[in-house]
Amino acid sequence: MANYFNTLPLREQLNQLGVAEFMDSAEFADGVNALKGKKIVIVGAGAQGLNQGLNLRDSSLDVSYALRKEAIEQKRDSWKNATDNNFTVGTYDELIPTADLVINLTPDKQHTSVINAVMPLMKQGATLSYSHGFNIVEEGMQIRKDITVIMVAPKCPGSEVRAEYLRGFGVPTLIAVHPENDPQDKGWAEAKAYCVGTGGHHAGVLKSSFVAEVKSDLMGEQTILCGLLQTGSILSFDKMVEKGIDAGYASKLVQYGVEVITEALKHGGVSGMLDRLSNPAKVKAFELSEELKDIMRPLFQKHQDDIMSGEFSKTMMEDWANGDANLLKWRAETGETAFEKTPAGDVKINEQEYFDNYLLMVAFVRAGVELAFETMVEAGIKPESAYYESLHETPLIANTIARKKLFEMNRVISDTAEYGCYLFDQACKPLLADFMKTVDTDIVGKNFNEGKDGSVDNTKLVQINDVLRNHQVEIVGRKLRKAMTAMKTIKTV
Amino acid sequence: MTEPVVHIDNLTIQYPNNLVLNSLDWSIQQGENYIIGGTSGSGKTTIAKAIAGLIFTDNTVKVTFDDSKSLPAKVTYISNWYQFTNLEGDRNFYYQQRYNHHQGHDTLTVKAELEHFAKKENLDFSDIQQRVQDFGFEDVQSSQLIELSSGEHKKLQLVRGLWEKPQLLIIDEPYTGLDKNSRVVLNNWLDELVQEGVQLILITNDTLLPQSINRYAHLVDGKIEIVDSQADFAKDKKRQQKELPAFLRAIPETNFDTVAELNNIFIRYGDKVVLKDVSWKINVGEKWLLQGPNGSGKSTLLSLINGDHPQAYGHNLSLFGNKRGSGESIWDIKQKIGIISPEIHWYFDQNATVWHTIASGFYDSIGWFIDVKFQEKTQIEELLEFFDLMDVKNKNLHTLPLGKQRLALLARTIIKNPPLLVLDEPCQGLDNDQTKYFNDVVDELAHYGKTLIYVGHYVSQLPSCIEHKIVLEKGEVKAIENILETVA
Repeated sequence: MANYFNTLPLREQLNQLGVAEFMDSAEFADGVNALKGKKIVIVGAGAQGLNQGLNLRDSSLDVSYALRKEAIEQKRDSWKNATDNNFTVGTYDELIPTADLVINLTPDKQHTSVINAVMPLMKQGATLSYSHGFNIVEEGMQIRKDITVIMVAPKCPGSEVRAEYLRGFGVPTLIAVHPENDPQDKGWAEAKAYCVGTGGHHAGVLKSSFVAEVKSDLMGEQTILCGLLQTGSILSFDKMVEKGIDAGYASKLVQYGVEVITEALKHGGVSGMLDRLSNPAKVKAFELSEELKDIMRPLFQKHQDDIMSGEFSKTMMEDWANGDANLLKWRAETGETAFEKTPAGDVKINEQEYFDNYLLMVAFVRAGVELAFETMVEAGIKPESAYYESLHETPLIANTIARKKLFEMNRVISDTAEYGCYLFDQACKPLLADFMKTVDTDIVGKNFNEGKDGSVDNTKLVQINDVLRNHQVEIVGRKLRKAMTAMKTIKTV
Repeated sequence: MTEPVVHIDNLTIQYPNNLVLNSLDWSIQQGENYIIGGTSGSGKTTIAKAIAGLIFTDNTVKVTFDDSKSLPAKVTYISNWYQFTNLEGDRNFYYQQRYNHHQGHDTLTVKAELEHFAKKENLDFSDIQQRVQDFGFEDVQSSQLIELSSGEHKKLQLVRGLWEKPQLLIIDEPYTGLDKNSRVVLNNWLDELVQEGVQLILITNDTLLPQSINRYAHLVDGKIEIVDSQADFAKDKKRQQKELPAFLRAIPETNFDTVAELNNIFIRYGDKVVLKDVSWKINVGEKWLLQGPNGSGKSTLLSLINGDHPQAYGHNLSLFGNKRGSGESIWDIKQKIGIISPEIHWYFDQNATVWHTIASGFYDSIGWFIDVKFQEKTQIEELLEFFDLMDVKNKNLHTLPLGKQRLALLARTIIKNPPLLVLDEPCQGLDNDQTKYFNDVVDELAHYGKTLIYVGHYVSQLPSCIEHKIVLEKGEVKAIENILETVA
């Protein structure tokens, strides 16, 4: 199979990359009608599969689960998840031929084998849905021409998809129709109905394309979301220990700090996050992040280039073929880092202290969010897409670090994201070596404001605020956040 | 003379725009066991927390322990609001999560929680084995915390606190959500602790108390006043019954004869059977009382009726004339139901104002997200007026006294004038007068054609419109009775 994106002429590449339209709620007035009475069969009953299915059924749709024979015979967790909730469960052979809509919610790595097994069984004119476009775009999977191919991608973990739905709300969602597979022109109607069924229409829906979703999703997760949070966490912890800060304190500051700091990001964007600092601290964080942006920009660009050219997916698929040798090795190495092995100390750190004592992370987050956003937009991705895949998801990933550090983050995200995260981390650390030599405990571990009189230069402050607030990620963010004001606070501290 | 156990000298606690305790002086001598009662919002919880050292008091509160006692020299405060976290330290639960936790082991089991506590406090599990049994709490030990009902959470909270046998034990609303038998067990246990040297401060307006209670106090204008008996406690101003808004006097349209019909329902979590062969038919307009001890399956049964339970599919269960899973969404179901329960209150959006809380009733959401139409706004205003909530409509729900919060949630429950009202222990935390007022409103609503399911433990605290009763025990229907005479 050839990389789909690379088979397209440049004009069409740009065309598909540039799809991003924030949808008006009036577009969802038809509710779930396009899928009403149709038979929906979900393949896979993990966190996304189960929770999306529960929502769709609660929205009056007819949902059942197709699992592999072994999963049923051995009564695996996926089988238990589905049967405990009184869903009909059957093998591919039993259920797929009856389906009007087949929803593939298995891990990326299994897509090729799942689709190869499922496609011949699908009835003429049925619809196939993905929640990530990797298989179609990067692996170039060709779907039978009578089949409609859509994507509905909730931008939250499965448990949140369920929790928000039951509150009467939803999570922000990307939807798309694959232009090569929409023979009956029903793709958008069904994608919208599916989105309504999961509650996504309450929280803001972005009309996207398979190409735009994949190229931005990969970029976001490798760089700001997982890669940089991992690198920043490890470097910060090591620096504090090197400088004599108590290891338990350092571990707690890093584990929870990133969550507290990015919670501010969620509410007020990058400028909202920096507004949590005193004026002198803000100036310092701004200067640090400018420096970090200069140092890291080439790395962000390299990641984007490799994603665009297909180099990234090619390398990763080689590792799949090699039994995940690299992935497993890097995963083990991450587990051995001092940060990972030092339990958070039994110390109280109040909310503001996470900002005042952890300026370095504020700087990392600003640099990472803006770089990822800028690099994506330069590559032809629309600002709306770039926002979702950078700023929007950062607090969600930070929450997984607060739960159980990097181990948890890398467990929750997909293997694809995890693989990209390690690639970034390995390249980023040496890149930052000289910078880290200049770092002292005033920006990580101790209160930056201590012993300072709080005065700043007027003009400088005005200029900094201006730069922060007028960045494109802030402008598009203000618009998109309006649609998600009711998203609940996630807090572990 | 021995030193007082608690000595408070000139304690003032002030929140923005609200002077709660005003130069308060109080001494509690050895052997004195107090009830603190009085009006809601008078500062009962604040004084309790001040004594327990949970708020800053600037050294105006002095607690002296008795070295000759073998009991731990500490004050334990059991709050009126339970709080637990999942294994990852997260506190983001939603009220239906009990039925949605699936295979995940998100929270500790009761047993693990108790063992963890024993280790931390250096306690011996055998000391409470009998208590756990007396409380009817034996069977839930393998349950996860998330699976517990509100009454069971209360018991867990009490077991932990009483187990410690602190020299001074303060319990804020000890009886909230407890069934009848458990109250007796609790009172006996408290009396035994007093014999062993524990001193008690209980905050309650309940009248069934431990025998060892010998002092009564209430708070007036931020100061403590000692009184002779509970009869002397200040009472909240009697609420004036207003005329029910016109939109609630309309009889809701019903194009079905039965509200719910359950036939031989079993609900299981793994090996644990929560409901066993339950059958129940509710006709339009009937007023039902649902009773049963804590943990008997009441909330699970209700969750089947209000669309919250994923296992409702695939059973012989009809709601509003339609078989479950025949093309209705949970929002179609919820649209016909007004519901209030301890769990909904517990998990309600922390940031919702009173106005938003009521508005969310139109959409059955927890918190409010959607623009409200003009007619709906008028109804909200009418209910704010009816429940005397106009002056607090822009305040956050959670900043109000419990009684007001309940009224706001009741307003949310009835705002869309639904054909079915499900009131699961709606009067938890209200005193007798507030309960009477609340139930009078329910009676009046019931008069206008609504179907009612009411959960309450105490016969003296029920609306008088009740005409049928279903009793659950260990997940089984123990009795279905008609009540011809009024129960009140």
